[in-house]
Amino acid sequence: MSKLCFVTTGATAPFTKLIEAVLSPSSLDAFLECGVTHIFIQYGTAKDVYHSTAEAARQYLKAISTEQELKIDGMDFDSSGLKEQFKLVQQTQGLAISHAGSGSILEALRYQVPLIVVPNTALLDNHQEELAVAMDRAGYVIHGNVDHLAPAIKVSEGFRTKMAQFPPVTAGKERKTKSFANIMDETVGFTDFNNE
Amino acid sequence: MAHPPPPSALYTPTFFLALLTTLLLCATLRALSILPSHSAKPRPRAPGTRTRVVIVLGSGGHTQEMLYLLRDLDPGRYTHRTWVVSSGDAFSAGRAVAFESEIEHRVGKGMGRQNVGPGSYDVQIVPRARKIHQSLLTTPASSLRCLWACFGPLLSSSSSSSSASTNSTPAAADLPELIITNGPATACILVLAALLLKFFDVRGAQSRGKCRTVYAESFARVKTLSLSGKLLVRVVDRFLVQWEELEGAGGGRAEFVGVLV
Repeated sequence: MSKLCFVTTGATAPFTKLIEAVLSPSSLDAFLECGVTHIFIQYGTAKDVYHSTAEAARQYLKAISTEQELKIDGMDFDSSGLKEQFKLVQQTQGLAISHAGSGSILEALRYQVPLIVVPNTALLDNHQEELAVAMDRAGYVIHGNVDHLAPAIKVSEGFRTKMAQFPPVTAGKERKTKSFANIMDETVGFTDFNNE
Repeated sequence: MAHPPPPSALYTPTFFLALLTTLLLCATLRALSILPSHSAKPRPRAPGTRTRVVIVLGSGGHTQEMLYLLRDLDPGRYTHRTWVVSSGDAFSAGRAVAFESEIEHRVGKGMGRQNVGPGSYDVQIVPRARKIHQSLLTTPASSLRCLWACFGPLLSSSSSSSSASTNSTPAAADLPELIITNGPATACILVLAALLLKFFDVRGAQSRGKCRTVYAESFARVKTLSLSGKLLVRVVDRFLVQWEELEGAGGGRAEFVGVLV
């Protein structure tokens, strides 16, 4: 049975540390432990780093002479979006690992797949870190770290069953979330007719 | 017998100072009266009332989040949609059209199909306030050009101006009830244009309670407001934030409503 791990590093800034972390020996061990059979990496502009790291990873897998299959592939960009990849992750009961860009996060969560969000700390922009922490606390994603990715990979399998519904039905202190449509209606005065 | 002084004697520096002070005072009072804390609660709106909404799109991230916000948009209530995009942003314009064909597909051949499809929406393009790498010297001029262009989508939808359009409705030719933005630079200028319409009560923008504004801060902002958010927090009617840490930001104006996207 195949099981896909899809990794997206974003389109704008190269995120070589994430590629290296995903293909490090400790992460590869964690993937094998979780039964992942295929790693597919959207590497953006970091083509050279991807190729050399993938080669080293294949060498490592050969050296530990595992009987499990673990294929490693990549692509630079997909102009038509990442829907197909996330759909495959969903179908194979796999997992996704993403940089902390809100676009990728929002797209992945539509498919209710276990998602590890890894902020790019080299970007000098702590919003990514803040978003990853907040999303983790709310139970939507797992906050990952380029230096310790393996623990997050191991957690992802159990996360599938306990991850919070996204978009949420409720949020905050058990407060019922209003939908944006409700807020629009309230603002223009359609409120009184909401219960029709 | 003292002759009355000639009228020209009025034009003294003191007179102009007094005039200026009076005007400034009136303008301040007017500005205060149009700010959201004084705007009246919306009158209940009967179902089926034709309603135009202006939606400001801008750059990849903002556009994507906006379309997630609007995923449950009911064309039966918001019968005409005016999408505002910046010049050169073909991505956002394309996404707006794709979104419209999705809701057209959703409605299908059922009731309310007169509120979907061409004629029930329009995409209007405004020049950018500032291009990337544009010199700061020319920014005021290009911002003014953008401001001028922003009156277009506010005053009427472009589909209503063509007499050939049979679908055009009074709502499409009127000021919008609602303006929705989530923070691109163009949104700040468009909201400023809406405030000017309210200030001078152009076509009843203020007296008829038109042009109400809703700002949704990006889902990516957890602890601090974005620049657009800081600029607009005191002037929009509703300022929504998606993370609890931002509740009450901007002098208590930010409303925490949970994740919306």
